Amino acid sequence: MNPATWTLRQRTERALAALALLFAILAPAGLVSTYWTHQILLSTFFFGLAAASLIFLSAYGGMVSLSQTALAGIAGIVLGNLATHGGPGGTSKGLHLGWDPTVALVAALVITTAIGLIFGAVASRSAGIYFLMITLTYSVIANQTLGSVTKISGFSGIGGINRYTPGWIGDIQAHPNRLYYIALGVAVASYAAIRYIVRTPFGITLRGIRDEPVRMASLGYNVELHRTLAFTFCAFLAAVSGVLYAWWSGQVAPGNVDLPSTINLLVMAVIGGLLRIEGAWIGAFVFIVMNTYITPNTHIPGLGLGGTLFGGSFNTIIGIIFLAIVVVSPDGLFGIWARLFNGAGRNLPLVPRNRLRKNRAIESPEGGGHH
Amino acid sequence: MRVRVRSWKTLAAVGIVGAVAASLAGSSMGAPHANVVKVAIMTDCKGAFAFGYDVDIGGAQAAFAKYAGGQTKNHKKPSAGMTGIKAGGADVQIVGYGCGNDTVPLAVTETKRLMEQLNADVMIGPLSGDEAVYVANYAKSHPTKTFIIGTAGSQDPTMQIHPKNLFRYHGDGAQWNAGIGEIAYKKLHWRKAAIIMDDYSFGWTSAAGMIADFCAVGGDIVKRVFPPLNTTDYSSFVRQLPPPNQVDGYFSAVGGSGTSAMLKAFEQAYGKPNPNQWIGNLFFGFLGADKVVAPKFVGSYVGGAGTGPGLKLAKTQAYENYVKSYYPGQNPDDLFFYNYYQAAHALVMGLQKSNGAVGAALQKAMPRAIPGAFQIANGGLVKLDSRNQAIQDQYQLQLTKNADGSVGPQVVAYVPAVAQDFGGLFKPSSPPPGRTQPPCKKVHTPWQGKIHVMKNGKITNEVIK
Repeated sequence: MNPATWTLRQRTERALAALALLFAILAPAGLVSTYWTHQILLSTFFFGLAAASLIFLSAYGGMVSLSQTALAGIAGIVLGNLATHGGPGGTSKGLHLGWDPTVALVAALVITTAIGLIFGAVASRSAGIYFLMITLTYSVIANQTLGSVTKISGFSGIGGINRYTPGWIGDIQAHPNRLYYIALGVAVASYAAIRYIVRTPFGITLRGIRDEPVRMASLGYNVELHRTLAFTFCAFLAAVSGVLYAWWSGQVAPGNVDLPSTINLLVMAVIGGLLRIEGAWIGAFVFIVMNTYITPNTHIPGLGLGGTLFGGSFNTIIGIIFLAIVVVSPDGLFGIWARLFNGAGRNLPLVPRNRLRKNRAIESPEGGGHH
Repeated sequence: MRVRVRSWKTLAAVGIVGAVAASLAGSSMGAPHANVVKVAIMTDCKGAFAFGYDVDIGGAQAAFAKYAGGQTKNHKKPSAGMTGIKAGGADVQIVGYGCGNDTVPLAVTETKRLMEQLNADVMIGPLSGDEAVYVANYAKSHPTKTFIIGTAGSQDPTMQIHPKNLFRYHGDGAQWNAGIGEIAYKKLHWRKAAIIMDDYSFGWTSAAGMIADFCAVGGDIVKRVFPPLNTTDYSSFVRQLPPPNQVDGYFSAVGGSGTSAMLKAFEQAYGKPNPNQWIGNLFFGFLGADKVVAPKFVGSYVGGAGTGPGLKLAKTQAYENYVKSYYPGQNPDDLFFYNYYQAAHALVMGLQKSNGAVGAALQKAMPRAIPGAFQIANGGLVKLDSRNQAIQDQYQLQLTKNADGSVGPQVVAYVPAVAQDFGGLFKPSSPPPGRTQPPCKKVHTPWQGKIHVMKNGKITNEVIK
């Protein structure tokens, strides 16, 4: 951590990261409107967390998972069924078990992580497109199960979850800043945890498995076990994200784990860049801001049809951006950022060209792939 | 020198990011205006009820125009906007239209956008049953905001969840069907029936009304089938229904774009349906389905929705004439249109009484009774019960051929002042309508044996026997 040895890009990135963190910490003090803190930034934190779990699997494990959204939804539904009460003035759907919210919270995380372990164990023997399809199947199973088992969810899902938060958190309706700082803290802690894990022997083995699974297996490493454990860890991250979502929105429904929602998380990850964990929050932020401000009623003077770009169709615009990113910068906004510095000719590329051509996700230590 | 250039660039980059952040922060902070009431109209523009977008907005704005001086920007396209609304000395500003798709997650983001980004004080809406379940939960945790349900007919928002700041000036899906089961039993002599219902809160509530009413007089529901909302291929669901020779008839609570798809699948499975063997909920006769579904079901009875197409009352016709002249493309008898109209009218009355104040003052000032173009009982007023839920006259309908060859619903039966609890059958402590709720039970409903026959749009003294 000697700043004198940092490259220009490292300095810039660290300065920006520190500034962003400072901004995030001070934001509720009136830097931005409460809508920005409690909706846009707060949801960036937990959607970014779910996207980070996707990017971790992709960048360090070589597994693109489409089940992170489903796992987040499962955690929310479990929490909703365990924590809410029925009867007059309660919520109207679900099992209404009325557990202590702290116990329900722990149970939701444990159950979802356990489901992740099972999912991961099944999927770990596949790779590439087959892994993608198996995890997509999980998401479809979750969506169909929640939609058709009306005892635990049904079409409307469970509502009013935000009224049943643990006592040590208190009333997040009356004090939304608490949820804001919890989500911020969780996002920072998760980021730190991922950074730590990739440096442990487990993380290094995982990277070895990503690049050369056959060689790692012949060296005696248990490839499936490592993949399963990585998937389980990410299921835990997704579960945390799902709990935060449930507290934030108050409800979880099958619509949260349908195909568009699943794809949305992938789009966030791709926009940010599938190679760096930070990209998760960048992508989530860009996605959420665009989703908020691109509507048929947002008129931007001088743009497109009747003042609204493409008639205000969010899906059209995000689709074009997605295409542009996939074609121009497959490593997302972070790739563009890296290229800005490459133009100056002082730093080596973030991603070596041959790696990109092989279309393989690689880890990117600060300062690029030169070591 | 090299170091200096680097740090200068670093500073520039940091500065740019800072400036962007500051401008974002600045643009998102809206200054509060004095004496402006911000109203959001929440409806659907996607999904099974996408057609309801301009219908709902038109309904609310037609009332704002009539009672609060609003001026529409386009008589053919209500969603183009409305300005100049004044009530109780305050400027009423429509800050946004919510664009849902009948699913809950989108209702979440749209509600938060309208109420927190655009800072609406009052929401008129939503359209769909499960959206309203979410909005009711949301209302509970936002007591300073006021919510007037647009046209969502699930029972839960007012019966089980019941936030104090949420009002519904129309019946729920079960109330709308009060009397239709008795008609099936007495006029069509059904004894055993099957029911197919959308698998969500409105489908369940609508079916609950049919089941409760039919079983109350002694009928039996032998099979309940629940296709998910937004199903496109209903063939596997209609195959779960008993064939036409094993039941006396079918109730349908399948709505939106699903109604005609479901009936088409039925026809493919069992041949041409017999209109006397089908009773649909409101979706058989309204909302565009009248063009697709109705012609094949001339003679079928149809559950109502609080409106009385063809009702010959002076105030009904005045209302219909006004709507036809103001928004020529809209159907004043359409329940979506009428319910949003009523909601906006109630809001204007509330604001007049609160002198333009919002929050708790407005909630206290919201009317306990409002006039209704189709309301006769209770002095022509739609009253609210203790849970802010309307007690409303219901009209049961029949699909008939009009003089011009078109087919549409006409009123055939009148059920006065239907309350949400069906005479004690539904309670806040009982589970909300669901796949198996309510059970089929012979009970006494307040209107049993007192349903008036209607002829040529007039109520007769004759009751349905």
